[in-house]
Amino acid sequence: MSLMPRSLSLRLALMFALVGTLLLGAIGFYLYQSLEREIAWRDDQALLGRLERMRALLDDSDSIEALRERPQLYANMLGNRDNLLWVLGSGGQPLIEINPARLAIPHLPLDHDPQLDDLNTEARLAWMHIARPGGALTLIAGRLLAEREQMLAAYRMKLWLALATGALLAFLLGWLVSERGLRPVRQLTRRALAIDAQHLHLRIEDAGELSELRELSNALNQMLARLEAGFSQLSRFSEDLAHEMRTPLGNLMGQTQQALRRVRSLDDYQSLLASNQEEYERLARMINNMLFLARTEQADAVVDVQTIELAEAVDQLGDYFEGIADEHGMRLLNEAAGQVRADPELLRRALANLIANALRYGEAGTSVRVGSETAGDRVVISVTNIGPVIESEHLPRLFDRFYRCDPSRAQPGDSGGLGLAIVRSIMLVHGGEVRVTSDTSGTCFALVFPR
Amino acid sequence: MRILVVEDEFKTADYLRKGLSESGYLVEVALNGLDGQHLIQESEFDLIILDVMLPGIDGWQLLQIVRRRAQTPVLFLTARDAVEDRVKGLELGADDYLVKPFSYAELLARVRTLLRRGPPREVEQFKVADLEMDLLRRRVSRNGERLTLTNKEFALLHLLLSREGEVLSRAQIASQVWQMNFDSDTNVVDVAIRRLRAKVDDPFQPKLIHTVRGMGYLLEVPE
Repeated sequence: MSLMPRSLSLRLALMFALVGTLLLGAIGFYLYQSLEREIAWRDDQALLGRLERMRALLDDSDSIEALRERPQLYANMLGNRDNLLWVLGSGGQPLIEINPARLAIPHLPLDHDPQLDDLNTEARLAWMHIARPGGALTLIAGRLLAEREQMLAAYRMKLWLALATGALLAFLLGWLVSERGLRPVRQLTRRALAIDAQHLHLRIEDAGELSELRELSNALNQMLARLEAGFSQLSRFSEDLAHEMRTPLGNLMGQTQQALRRVRSLDDYQSLLASNQEEYERLARMINNMLFLARTEQADAVVDVQTIELAEAVDQLGDYFEGIADEHGMRLLNEAAGQVRADPELLRRALANLIANALRYGEAGTSVRVGSETAGDRVVISVTNIGPVIESEHLPRLFDRFYRCDPSRAQPGDSGGLGLAIVRSIMLVHGGEVRVTSDTSGTCFALVFPR
Repeated sequence: MRILVVEDEFKTADYLRKGLSESGYLVEVALNGLDGQHLIQESEFDLIILDVMLPGIDGWQLLQIVRRRAQTPVLFLTARDAVEDRVKGLELGADDYLVKPFSYAELLARVRTLLRRGPPREVEQFKVADLEMDLLRRRVSRNGERLTLTNKEFALLHLLLSREGEVLSRAQIASQVWQMNFDSDTNVVDVAIRRLRAKVDDPFQPKLIHTVRGMGYLLEVPE
């Protein structure tokens, strides 16, 4: 394809020209062949007729000599430089000869029926052998091929000219037509060009009734929708990130400036520094979580997958959360069994985030149940608590970074809304997913691992 | 004990110098790789704390220079905790690493561990004031009174006792007692300490487990 021009309309025009030339050439070749055959056939008929006429003349005349005396009888053959006529005696000697081209007398096989043949490339001959009382005679009528050849050459020339003109016309017309035909594509390009990062909400309008372009513009529109979603998520994320960092920074600046306004007691300074330290830790935690997310979302994230006994892993977490559960008046039930293939550290982190949430939002006096289920090619680990129902509108966005159902419920101890985003990215590196359902019977987060 | 700190960020170097001096170490600071190299070649240190990103000669090169001379323990500090960085440092012969931002309590703990030459001695019995722990019998008593602790409470008290007088950060405690090596956004450690205090400290005097605001917890006999 490298020989083809880069412009589509030029390419189409070239193809049109090629097709046109092929078609015209084929037609021209056919016409030329039929013409040539037709002319040859007519010439042959004329030669045969001439033979017949000569024979009739000979039959009517008393002798050859008499005939020779009256050339006007076959005068229509004279004066024409293309015609040949021989009447040969039995010895092969010419009795009558009309031979303006001065050809040698040809030696021809004897036959009583009229014969036709080419004499080299110079002439076409018809001949016959007739028996007469005064001795056998050979009649030869002929016609030089030069004239016919000339005529056909002129015809060929015209055909070549027509062919060249046709090809050129096909190219030009093809170019015009494809330029015109591709106009909707250029319009599509212009519309697509108008869409940049600031105008991602724009869509390419329907490209008329052209089905091919409609498919293309639909595909482009779908791509734009995905881009817009990703883009707005990204910018919302940056905004949220800035906002989340502003809160601890605001606290730090505010309380430090307030403290510096005048001399304070040692206790005041100490408590200021300690309070600052808490904010720093919050910032550090947020940065670490962000880094963790960025790293797990990289395509080449390293996962150390091992076979894990679920009951054991959950028991370990049960130990960890026992105290908190007690303080909340809740219990942690380990109903998990079986095995799962996962990175132990990451699985523990995901489950710890879910259990911490379940305990944070669960009702006192209820239990948080950690269960497991092996279904087909998946292992599902679920963490269920009983607590306030999460509105269904929040469920799909729960795993977005910094998403909070109730922005006013940000707690100083939490990860700034990154806990569930971390759970999701952990599941993604395992090729699994996280699901959530919530109703009055409980809120259930399910980690779905491939087996 | 002489410690060399090679760190180009002035504030970091300054607080490391102050903090380590307060903990009783003799601290020299080099603010760039060249000064660091000079000091390493001129004098002897018991520990070197190296920042990886340095102008001129970087931390990796300094590490090689150190290793050519002696087996001085090296703790390296890095802002990027990419796995390759850690592996590279440990391969080049560093003894430990810390990722910035690190907690000062954590740094101090690492420094102490590195300077504690030889394997830590296996202590089987602890006694702080009237608090006693017998590891072999898994028994804890205070003021002669036997205390009933859960496994994790026992492990937590053991950690505090074995690091008596040292501030332990919440992350350190979570990692050592529960093997939770990540931040889980909960106050699990605070709750566990509260429950341990209820058994070990609340009914008795003096109080042994102390909160260091903004840093963590420590166990010591109050002065």
